[in-house]
Amino acid sequence: MEDDPGVEAELGQVGRALYGSFPQRSRNPVKALDARAMELASQDAELRAALFRFVDVTPACRSLDDLARHLSGYLSEVDEKPPSLEVAMRMAGTKPGRAALGVAAAGGVRHMAHRFIVGESPRKALPVLRELWEDGAASSVDLLGEATVTEAEADRYAARCAEALDTIAEAAPRWPERPQLEADSLGPLPRANLSVKVSALTPHIRPDAPALGREDASRRMRPLLRKARDLGAHLHIDMESLDALETTMELIFELLDEDEFREGPSAGLVLQAYLRESPNQLDSILAWARETPRTPPLVVRLVKGAYWDHEIVEARQHGWEAPVFEVKAECDRNYEELTRRLLDARPAVRVAVASHNLRSISHAIAYNRYSGAEDRDVELQVLRGLGDELGHALAAQGFRVRVYCPVGDLVAGMAYLVRRLLENTSNESFLHEQAMGVPLEELLAAP
Amino acid sequence: MKPFANEPTLELRRAPARESLVNALRELEPKLPLSVPVLIGREQGAHEGFESTDPGSPDRVVATAGRATEADAAAAVEAAAAAFPAWRDMGADARAEVLVGAAQILRSRRLELAALQVRECAKPWGEADGDVCEAIDFLEYYAREAVRLEQGPDLLQVPGERNTMRYEPRGVCVVIAPWNFPLAIPTGMTSAALAAGNSVVLKPAEQSPASALALVEALREAGAPPGAISLLPGFGEVGAALVRDPRVHVIAFTGSSAVGLEIVRSSADTPEGQGHVKRVVAEMGGKNAVIVDSDADLDDAVPAIVKSAFVYAGQKCSAASRVLAHEGVADALLERLSGAVNVLIVGQADDFAIDVPPVIESDAQERVLRYAELAASEGRIVGQQAKIPANGWFCPPTLVTDLPPGSAVLRDEIFGPVLAVERVKSIAEACDALERSPFALTGGLFSRNPETVAEVTRRTPVGNLYVNRHITGAMVGRQPFGGNRRSGIGSKAGGPDYLLQFVEPRVVTENTMRHGLVVE
Ligand SMILES: Cc1cc2nc3c(=O)[nH]c(=O)nc-3n(C[C@H](O)[C@H](O)[C@H](O)COP(=O)(O)OP(=O)(O)OC[C@H]3O[C@@H](n4cnc5c(N)ncnc54)[C@H](O)[C@@H]3O)c2cc1C
Repeated sequence: MEDDPGVEAELGQVGRALYGSFPQRSRNPVKALDARAMELASQDAELRAALFRFVDVTPACRSLDDLARHLSGYLSEVDEKPPSLEVAMRMAGTKPGRAALGVAAAGGVRHMAHRFIVGESPRKALPVLRELWEDGAASSVDLLGEATVTEAEADRYAARCAEALDTIAEAAPRWPERPQLEADSLGPLPRANLSVKVSALTPHIRPDAPALGREDASRRMRPLLRKARDLGAHLHIDMESLDALETTMELIFELLDEDEFREGPSAGLVLQAYLRESPNQLDSILAWARETPRTPPLVVRLVKGAYWDHEIVEARQHGWEAPVFEVKAECDRNYEELTRRLLDARPAVRVAVASHNLRSISHAIAYNRYSGAEDRDVELQVLRGLGDELGHALAAQGFRVRVYCPVGDLVAGMAYLVRRLLENTSNESFLHEQAMGVPLEELLAAP
Repeated sequence: MKPFANEPTLELRRAPARESLVNALRELEPKLPLSVPVLIGREQGAHEGFESTDPGSPDRVVATAGRATEADAAAAVEAAAAAFPAWRDMGADARAEVLVGAAQILRSRRLELAALQVRECAKPWGEADGDVCEAIDFLEYYAREAVRLEQGPDLLQVPGERNTMRYEPRGVCVVIAPWNFPLAIPTGMTSAALAAGNSVVLKPAEQSPASALALVEALREAGAPPGAISLLPGFGEVGAALVRDPRVHVIAFTGSSAVGLEIVRSSADTPEGQGHVKRVVAEMGGKNAVIVDSDADLDDAVPAIVKSAFVYAGQKCSAASRVLAHEGVADALLERLSGAVNVLIVGQADDFAIDVPPVIESDAQERVLRYAELAASEGRIVGQQAKIPANGWFCPPTLVTDLPPGSAVLRDEIFGPVLAVERVKSIAEACDALERSPFALTGGLFSRNPETVAEVTRRTPVGNLYVNRHITGAMVGRQPFGGNRRSGIGSKAGGPDYLLQFVEPRVVTENTMRHGLVVE
């Protein structure tokens, strides 16, 4: 389906206005990263690999010396090193040199991590959440953690989630009034909002036996749903790789269908537009939502999908057809089509459009307006660290914005950090194009 | 022929793929027990003599098989010797066509054959499907390899002489196969021998005759002359008779070290009238270790180690049975591994939601339980899933640590779900420990330091080292597979050298000078 020309025109205006309200330097977010490493990384694949391997291993290193050895090990695999890294290599040759290099490198990684991770614990994150709120953006907290492979780890994650709900729900009522964030046409919106991952709630995620993980995770999800309901908080269930999709979808459908959850909490799921089968998934989501009316309605967060490389590699290694689009424009077009269908499906669902792509976001705003709805009837979501400037611009223009805020320590956060860094420097990424100075008209062009 | 590509496994994360397997099992069930005759050339021998049963439900008979005798062994070798010249003379292209045809037949029966393994060997669905795919891969891969080999290598040529080198099949090849890859391994050894132009007598494991019958049927249906592929279901005595037979040229064996070494000894004999020295290709035991460095990502290492040690109840020659953990991570690793072992689900192979199926037979169960007891008395059990079904040859998956250095648990191949963790002060110490082991099949390393990876690569003698991943599941053409030291003799299955073991090189040098002229 094509958009009406009116939507395209509106989209252009929205996009230009948003772009105009980006702070000047943010038109180049890659350069804005104080770590100049990022800029180097996006230009040289070997260097990019070396840096990400280094970031990835940082929390596992036992000493500064160990850290420096790893760094020089990775750099030695890079053929053409910029002069600054040649210096690093030379430093790694001596013990005092390694100590100095270790301090510098560890500092660099910690600095990077702080861009993306708002605090070590929900309590420590509260000031940031409040600041965001005051600046006109709601939040959703995501607890970073290591993979769950044992019962104890699943229990611990569930306990952390419960504690996060308590902490945020306790603090949120003291935040000032922000009418633009507190309600849409369907009613009030919770201030406290937590995103959770099903794979962290059970050691039994098995792609070939989805019922196993579903049942085990349900045991831990139910108390969280009850708590969210009792505290008036929103619980959002993130979507992970395709291996966990059936487990996750069925868990959500099954739990929210239980009598005690019909009237709350506010809950949501994620639809990934990079999946070729996403239009069918939307069919089942909407069919379910219509058969299982809820107050408040189910929130659907539309994303492109964060596991693109993983899905491609997994498919190639097994000789399977790739489950994701392989041409970026197809993914983007599908995203717009799903945006339209979701917005048209209201009030059966609430819609959250999560993207850092100015075109994708502007399209959602324009289509929403074009369909006669109010701006507050679509939520726009960005990730902390990647979508800060877009988030500010959206908030400044009075849109309803939510910032996804990862919380956790460096060890737990590393996998997340590496994924975000990869995303930021990927050639296919909108942020990368924007940073490379692609003209606005091209950035806003139909995919 | 299209270039080789691995047969895709079923995408079992999708419900329809799972249903297709469940349906195949439902269709197979009423046909059990299958009947597996002795097949010698065109002759059908005995149909009865022994049974294969479901390890998860030992009263269920999966197949009734004829028990081949020593006389059958002699007759099968006779038939193979008679069929050999014609098969040899067909040429690699025509033989390749037969193999590719057999691959197509297996492909068309893949669901049923996977279901059969679930019953006959208690192989879990994903593993059973992978086994069938591997069998198809071997047929497709060796077919192409034989065509390539037939070209012969390029030799140095100088004026006045013409040098050519070609490979000739050796003759009659005996294949003695195990039950743990009931289709893939017999297919691998058999198809290599056939592709290269040899004729084959196949003696499958007594635990899995029905899977082997499927292979022989496919090959014959695709055009292999009956004499070129005989089937002798049976026990050790047939195998021994085949190995002794002076008309046999090659013995391809996969199985235990004890039997493998016995074959090496017995086949070394060159009685009067035997005009050749037998060639033995043997894949034997392993005692495979995973080294975990202090910088390892335990989020990856723990699931990979659990998979390597406990999938198919540890009954793969590539399975992990030792972990050598750097003291910097040993505590954290042990804690997470023990939690991961405690949540393993032990149950029937036909249930998708299990992690650990039963072991193959009651002897195996006894052996594993004996080692688990030894582990408990000599060391400290830190993880175990004691919830196991009562009926069937189930064993509790067990994680042990703090064993004394000389413990048999650290030394012997247990071939079951028992994993031992040892602490090392350095990666060098871990390499030293591996250095002392007579086995060298597979190994694993979790490290994010390129220097450590290089060092361990240089030092470990294993045939297959896996870095930062699980250590089982070698793929044809991608991970040529086979052990060194006492784990095996011969070169790697599913790799570019494998067929060379089934052929003899011949070089011809022709003088092309006549009366001072080069007459080429
Ligand atoms: C608030 C928020 C919550 C999120 N929650 C989730 C979640 O629960 N689960 C999840 O999976 N992701 C989630 N994401 C991440 C999201 O899926 C994207 O990875 C990320 O936002 C980048 O997409 P974009 O629209 O911002 O940028 P763009 O640059 O427009 O798109 C990049 C994306 O396009 C896709 N892509 C890249 N290359 C190709 C190609 N060759 N062919 C086809 N497609 C390609 C990939 O999905 C890639 O991430 C979330 C994002 C946000 C902002």
